[in-house]
Amino acid sequence: MNIRNIIKYWRVTLTVAEMTVRHQLNDSFIVFAVLIQPMLIAILALFMLKEKGTDYAMFVVVGSGLTGLWSSLLFVSGNSINVERWSGTLETLVGVPTPFEVIVFGKNLASVAQSLLSMVVSYALAALFFGYSLHVDQPLMFIASVLLTVFAFVSFGLIIAPIFVMYRGVQQWQNALEFPVYILAGFLFPIALLPFWTVPISYVLPPYWAAIALHGTTTGAAPLEETFFAWGLMLVFSIVDLFIASRLFKFMLYKVRVDATLDTE
Amino acid sequence: MNAIEVNHLKRVYRAAIGVFKRSIKEVVAVDDISFSVEKGELFGLLGPNGAGKTTTVKMLATLLIPTAGNISIMGFDVVKQANEVRKRIGFIFGGERGLYWRLSAEDNLRYFASLYGADPEVSKKRIPYLLEMVGLKGRGNERVEGYSRGMKQRLHVARTLLHDPEVLFLDEPTIGLDPVGAREFRQVILDLQTEKKTILLTTHYMFEADALCDRIAVIDKGCTVALDTPGGLKKHVSDLSIVEMETFGAPEEVLNGIRALPFVDAVSVEDQDQRQLLKVQTERGAEAVPDLMAALDGQRVGRVIVREPTLEDAYVRLVGGKV
Amino acid sequence: MNVLTKNLRLFWQGTMLSYIALFAWLRPVTYAASKIVMPLAQMLFFVFLGTYATNSNNVDFYVIGNAVQITAVSGIFGVTMSVGGDRWAGTLPYLFGTPANRVMLFFGRAFMHVIDGTIGVVIAFIWGVTLLGLDLSHTNLPALGLTILVTTLSTCALGLLMGCLSLITSNVMFVNNTVYFLLLIFSGANVAIDKLPAWMQALSQILPLTRGIAASRALVAGQGLAEIGPMLLTELGIGFVYGTLGYFMFHWFEVVAKRRGSLETV
Repeated sequence: MNIRNIIKYWRVTLTVAEMTVRHQLNDSFIVFAVLIQPMLIAILALFMLKEKGTDYAMFVVVGSGLTGLWSSLLFVSGNSINVERWSGTLETLVGVPTPFEVIVFGKNLASVAQSLLSMVVSYALAALFFGYSLHVDQPLMFIASVLLTVFAFVSFGLIIAPIFVMYRGVQQWQNALEFPVYILAGFLFPIALLPFWTVPISYVLPPYWAAIALHGTTTGAAPLEETFFAWGLMLVFSIVDLFIASRLFKFMLYKVRVDATLDTE
Repeated sequence: MNAIEVNHLKRVYRAAIGVFKRSIKEVVAVDDISFSVEKGELFGLLGPNGAGKTTTVKMLATLLIPTAGNISIMGFDVVKQANEVRKRIGFIFGGERGLYWRLSAEDNLRYFASLYGADPEVSKKRIPYLLEMVGLKGRGNERVEGYSRGMKQRLHVARTLLHDPEVLFLDEPTIGLDPVGAREFRQVILDLQTEKKTILLTTHYMFEADALCDRIAVIDKGCTVALDTPGGLKKHVSDLSIVEMETFGAPEEVLNGIRALPFVDAVSVEDQDQRQLLKVQTERGAEAVPDLMAALDGQRVGRVIVREPTLEDAYVRLVGGKV
Repeated sequence: MNVLTKNLRLFWQGTMLSYIALFAWLRPVTYAASKIVMPLAQMLFFVFLGTYATNSNNVDFYVIGNAVQITAVSGIFGVTMSVGGDRWAGTLPYLFGTPANRVMLFFGRAFMHVIDGTIGVVIAFIWGVTLLGLDLSHTNLPALGLTILVTTLSTCALGLLMGCLSLITSNVMFVNNTVYFLLLIFSGANVAIDKLPAWMQALSQILPLTRGIAASRALVAGQGLAEIGPMLLTELGIGFVYGTLGYFMFHWFEVVAKRRGSLETV
């Protein structure tokens, strides 16, 4: 892919992202996944962690925001291709000259970016409803961590979506994948609480490294090297994910045109 | 070079059936179809339901991979050079789906324009032009969910013209439209032809094909059974006359009796409320009427007319009485 | 056929068909897993979060609370989907067109979910004992079973009311997800009720689950049926109120829908 294509596709990506946000704006299920559920988890966690003291409020804000990011990745990005199939728009999207993975990238970018709202909502809730004074210890590093998190989540979503299209048996496990990742990625409590054999699983989950970077930069508790290490791993995972995704998309687009499963009718 | 070249196209669907004991069932949707369409031609694909029309169009539009045979569009192979083909084609599948209902018409068009790689500045002018062309001027900022079926269908036309494609595939575009909407829609198709677009249209409405198409391929059970101009197709039945007889609930045995008569070529039956309209194709014309009445064997018979054959009759003969 | 058998049959058909419709899209293995593995994941999350929060050996508090709370998966999600499902499938006009006994029709929607929910909680308790060190040796098990059943009944009753709400708002997923998570906060499963602000405590008292969870904790701690009896009666009463409200709402929906002639689009 040369530079001209990258610029061209970036513009397409932005248009796709804009339209996706507009389209989802009044979808109540998405409002739930992005706003309500993380907010309720934040309320619950804020009550539960109250005795830990003020320091933990920001930890809860980031952690419950991360639950919103993961749920939205799982349910919105994960189904981003299936949704098009159900509404009959998938054929049109596959029949355009823009590579399909560029379109799905744009859609997932929109979903992940808009689910950052869940962190904003948790923040407002902790500040207003619970009256905590909240601050971010390393603001610039935090912003960098957010950007890398978005990239890592979008790339991860590009693997999940085609798998959910091709293997209905996997898609049915969608609901079962929500809480285990909340646990294994250490969103709201450290994974040190978990049995030792789960540690390798955490290490291969991009959300785990996102949580390390985001918690580390907000509380300032983590040494710089740890944050850099988490950044590096998020980048590595993203690149690996994008590579796998490009193969998966190629295979999926061939398979659906052989099996005639582009449309549900 | 022809705009569309289809050679011995075949498509088999494999479907798994059953929940616990999975078995594979094969259905041949397209068996052997060949035709070519010249640039600027309006070409019709005509056939009864299940003849393989939609499957053929989906293969032409790069959305299905043929089991055998090949297709080239403007010189590009639909499987190996799918992306080159996609830049040059537009397609519509009849029905309301395929648009984003919670977005406005303009947003839908802006979205697809971007996906077709259109220059945003060009689209800015082209979108209002297209909306006007399909008769949606002034309604562009409304959400599509409030549109009537006909409006959605016309929005599909605008969508498919965004990148000014050379070749258009319209699959049953007037299906489900009311008569006025369908007539307006046919006018849009004729306007497109004046823009020198190559158009492939599928339909099972005979008069529509007759009114619009330069040439027609009749397909049945996945095979091409005839390919000619509407006039040429009519010649298939020029030696025949059509006897139309109105009956009231004649049983199937009686109809089969008529079909079996030596001088009867083909019979089609249209059910209209309580009545049936039998269209009997025969070389004997008016002379056949007494024998036909006898064969109806005491059934109540209404109006009887003897007339010249139409394209529809040619079609009936070609596909063996199924409409 | 006498009226009783006729109504029983109606009850049974409504309940089975709506239950099957709800889960038919799942493969058998996935269905089993959704009943056994998923509750565990949610329970583990809150147990870990709770133990992290309190730094103490307070595991039982969270295990019991979340095990009983599992009943809301059937009671809220299952029941609302069964009630709302008729609308999606477009079968509502046909149901309302029949002379079928509406009470049987309505409460039949919840029946399978009562069984489902009860089994779900039992499975969750088994997880608690095998994986999380819950000790039931001092527990009056029949009384615990009764508590689970009563709590499930009252939760399903709230589900029936919420299902009707989703008929009107046509937003099943939004309604049931929100109610489900609200119960996680208000029921005392994860936050001791006395730690909540006063207005939230007041709300807790009129919701199902709150007393069921408290009673279960008391039973595990060694108390007897006599001590928790009043709580169970109140829990049952709350369920009765929600169920009755739900039924009247269902009835009202039918009347309004028929008057407007817009069963599918209200």
